[in-house]
Amino acid sequence: MVEIGDKVLGYATDPGIRNRGASGGMVTAILAAALERGLVDSVIVLRHINEYEAVPVITDDVDEVLASAGSMHTVPVNLAKYAAGRKVAMPGKPCDVRAVFEQAKRNEIDIDNTFIIGLNCGGTMHPVLTREMLVRMYEIDPEDVVGEKIDKGKLFFRTKDGEEKAIPIDDLEDAGYGRRESCRYCDVKIPVNADLACGNWGVIGELAGNATFCEVMNGKGVRLLENAIESGYVQIEPAGEQSIAIREKVNSAMLSLGEKWSARVFTEIPEEQRINYYMEQFADCIDCGACKEACPVCTCDEDSKCTMYHSLADDYKMSMYHMVRLLHLSDSCIGCGQCSDVCPVDIPVTSIFRRFADPAQKKHNYKAGMTLERPPFLEVMLK
Amino acid sequence: MKEEIYQTFCPGCGVGCGLYIREDPEGNTSVDFMKSSPANLGKLCRFGMKVPYHYSKARTMVTGSKADIEDAIKAAAHRMADADSVTMLSVGNTTSEEHMAFCRIAETLGTRVDTGVFPLPSQITSKCGSYPEGISLDEMEKAKRIALFLDPYVQYPLIVRRLLAAKRNGAGIVAVGTKELHLADETLDIGPDRYDELGLDDKSLIVADIHPNSDPVHVKQLLDLAGRCGAKIHFMQPFINSTGVNLALKANGSMMALAQIMEDIEAGNIRTLVTLDSDPVELMPDAAAAVETLKKLDNLIVISSRASPVTELADVVIATEPVYMKAGTFMNVEGRLQENSGSGVAGIDAMSLLNGELGGKRFDYQQLHYIFMKSIGDPGTDVGDVTADKAEQMECGSVDVDNAGSSVPEGMYQLKYLYNPFMWFDQKDDNDFVLIDRKLVKKLGLKKGGMVVLGSENGKMKMRYRVENIPGGMIMTAKKIPVATGPNTIISLEGC
Ligand SMILES: Cc1cc2nc3c(=O)[nH]c(=O)nc-3n(C[C@H](O)[C@H](O)[C@H](O)COP(=O)(O)OP(=O)(O)OC[C@H]3O[C@@H](n4cnc5c(N)ncnc54)[C@H](O)[C@@H]3O)c2cc1C
Ligand code: SF4
Ligand code: SF4
Ligand code: SF4
Ligand code: SF4
Repeated sequence: MVEIGDKVLGYATDPGIRNRGASGGMVTAILAAALERGLVDSVIVLRHINEYEAVPVITDDVDEVLASAGSMHTVPVNLAKYAAGRKVAMPGKPCDVRAVFEQAKRNEIDIDNTFIIGLNCGGTMHPVLTREMLVRMYEIDPEDVVGEKIDKGKLFFRTKDGEEKAIPIDDLEDAGYGRRESCRYCDVKIPVNADLACGNWGVIGELAGNATFCEVMNGKGVRLLENAIESGYVQIEPAGEQSIAIREKVNSAMLSLGEKWSARVFTEIPEEQRINYYMEQFADCIDCGACKEACPVCTCDEDSKCTMYHSLADDYKMSMYHMVRLLHLSDSCIGCGQCSDVCPVDIPVTSIFRRFADPAQKKHNYKAGMTLERPPFLEVMLK
Repeated sequence: MKEEIYQTFCPGCGVGCGLYIREDPEGNTSVDFMKSSPANLGKLCRFGMKVPYHYSKARTMVTGSKADIEDAIKAAAHRMADADSVTMLSVGNTTSEEHMAFCRIAETLGTRVDTGVFPLPSQITSKCGSYPEGISLDEMEKAKRIALFLDPYVQYPLIVRRLLAAKRNGAGIVAVGTKELHLADETLDIGPDRYDELGLDDKSLIVADIHPNSDPVHVKQLLDLAGRCGAKIHFMQPFINSTGVNLALKANGSMMALAQIMEDIEAGNIRTLVTLDSDPVELMPDAAAAVETLKKLDNLIVISSRASPVTELADVVIATEPVYMKAGTFMNVEGRLQENSGSGVAGIDAMSLLNGELGGKRFDYQQLHYIFMKSIGDPGTDVGDVTADKAEQMECGSVDVDNAGSSVPEGMYQLKYLYNPFMWFDQKDDNDFVLIDRKLVKKLGLKKGGMVVLGSENGKMKMRYRVENIPGGMIMTAKKIPVATGPNTIISLEGC
């Protein structure tokens, strides 16, 4: 019997899945079981293209789910939009889960039909910059890499010939590599808003590297886990005190690191300079609309408030598009980094939006994407 | 429930940005970001974001009626075999392998494939190393001084981030004859006689572009400038595979300017035209005039992956699969060979059949891929005969010098096209306005949100306007409009 609040260590019973999984293949096994036993109609996973690239797929094929095992740290996707209108199970980093909640607040996603296996997240890296980093900082041919891990503040890469090389993440980030900027100051590391919160923090001793720490967050989490156990896909054991304490400790350390980064990025801009700051930041914008398209909390169509009041023929120094979006997303931006990733002129859109949204969210004591209990403070929540 | 996901490249320009096309079971397509693509890191410009609109599927037709592919191929073969001579045009909008298939057909007919770009001076390859092979866009970030002869924001948006990076690395950027650019330190409205004032040297980079409506004289002026100061030139190109077809040229074709082809059709010297994913109506600055010219042909045979104005005019349309579905490669402006994940060979099979009908050998994808790879095997080799220094002999023809202004009669204005992906494909965008200089607002008594009336020998039209700092006497537009007769048109302008 699984109960809400349980903290367990678990792994896939199938040795193949366990081996291919990031830490024990439990997440893959739970997803496969959910699909196989009809808990959901489809599953969202990543289809691997190569060591650095994967693309989200919505699938009803158990084999595709099994093939997706493994954590892709160089795949900074957001999976929320793929869940819209489906009865689906999905893995999710905190930013994926938060975006699902923002979509659910606007009735795009039915939360009761969306089963989310949350993944702790220390951050994702950009695939092209990672390759560049491997050449410049690790002096490794990116094609030779067969695995990577983060341990004790260092990023390790393992090559075909079995060698391992590590560099402190701080050094990488000072050189402009490592995690994306949004991940450095991201303020949710354990997805407590998911149905299950899984990760390798707190997995110690013999199980280290081949099991996952899993916290059962709600009734859907119970169903997911029981379903996987009953179908023989997953085996669990209670997590010990030490495991629980280590998980908490690492989480706190990561959150305080995030706060330091936040202080570094969001330096105070005097009030009289703020309008110039925003205008200057967007001065190179080419009006591509990619930041809206990629935004996983935006539920508007092509014709939306920000696009309808905007015309390329306008002479505004900062476009209506950005003015409307800054305001409109101030109660829903989760700082996921997607907008910065896709901006063709490298505008740090995420940091600009966080800078705008943060004071408003703090004032309302509101953290976007964490719960359905609190409606968006600028809007009425659809029920 | 089965969704298809294709790894492909944006057909909007020569940058060749990587992207995913997702096709749902109903055949609706959407774009997804391919962040591992080295050319663009998954980033896309306005055109890339709207690329599904681009893939409007062509239909196989014979003399205006729907036909099956074998009948269309037979009809095309019949017309081509009977023609005295056949002109073949492929500007680089499809895979290298399809281009090679097209070249095989040309060989069978004893003709060649034209790319629509005028013959290039050999000094381009020898001195600048940037054309036709391309230089890495990373190089742009390392230049110490950059002279821009295009508007990157509108024309090739994915180089904006490269230029900004160059600036962060300490480069000085000067924009020549364009509107004021936020990323440029200065904007100079100067003609070629004053290019030495740009202060370029051997650590500098000139960024310009070459396309079917480029002015050969201006290209020559830029090459002379580079020759004098030792700067490199990076020529951007408008089509996904411009670089690939230019390289393939060494073995397989020639460069006849599109304007020249159209003049020859007009004069009755060309009576049969076969196009491969190349639409003269979209490519020529004056669409209406191009339609009239094409109507003079005895035979217009169009092999195309998408519906466009030329498929409406054609005697025979051989429709192929959308570009994202094709098996094949493209070479971007950097000389980076990029491969589609698609496996479609309908276009190649159709051309193989056509070649067979014409008495030539059949071929398949693998053979064509091999031939292409071989033809680009030694990118350092000179392009030889086809790049003979013909640019020096060329007249401006229908193409005006890019930065003129001096020859504009008193009280008239020069309307300049800001070529961009939407324009090359005449694809709808929110760009139906002209850019006008601040001083004109007062002079013409314009009101906010008002319109201007543009007039030329083609008639008059109203348009919205946007105020910018642009060279005096110049009006710019990023939209193809009926009053334009060329890339630069003398027009009248009134307020209304
Ligand atoms: C980017 C990333 C960072 C992580 N950082 C930490 C951390 O700092 N601390 C910690 O305790 N745990 C972290 N995890 C979780 C951990 O790596 C394992 O995923 C987790 O322990 C489950 O292991 P598993 O073997 O059961 O997962 P698997 O069975 O291997 O299943 C992994 C699932 O994650 C999906 N997935 C892979 N990459 C991504 C991605 N980029 N975005 C969304 N979904 C993805 C796959 O499709 C698959 O369904 C991270 C995971 C990811 C994806
Ligand atoms: S934004 Fe946060 S949750 Fe999302 S990838 Fe970065 S660190 Fe992980
Ligand atoms: S605005 Fe940017 S950071 Fe905020 S939720 Fe949208 S994509 Fe994410
Ligand atoms: S992604 Fe960048 S360039 Fe595109 S609209 Fe957003 S801010 Fe502008
Ligand atoms: S049009 Fe050019 S710059 Fe824009 S997305 Fe396509 S290839 Fe990239």
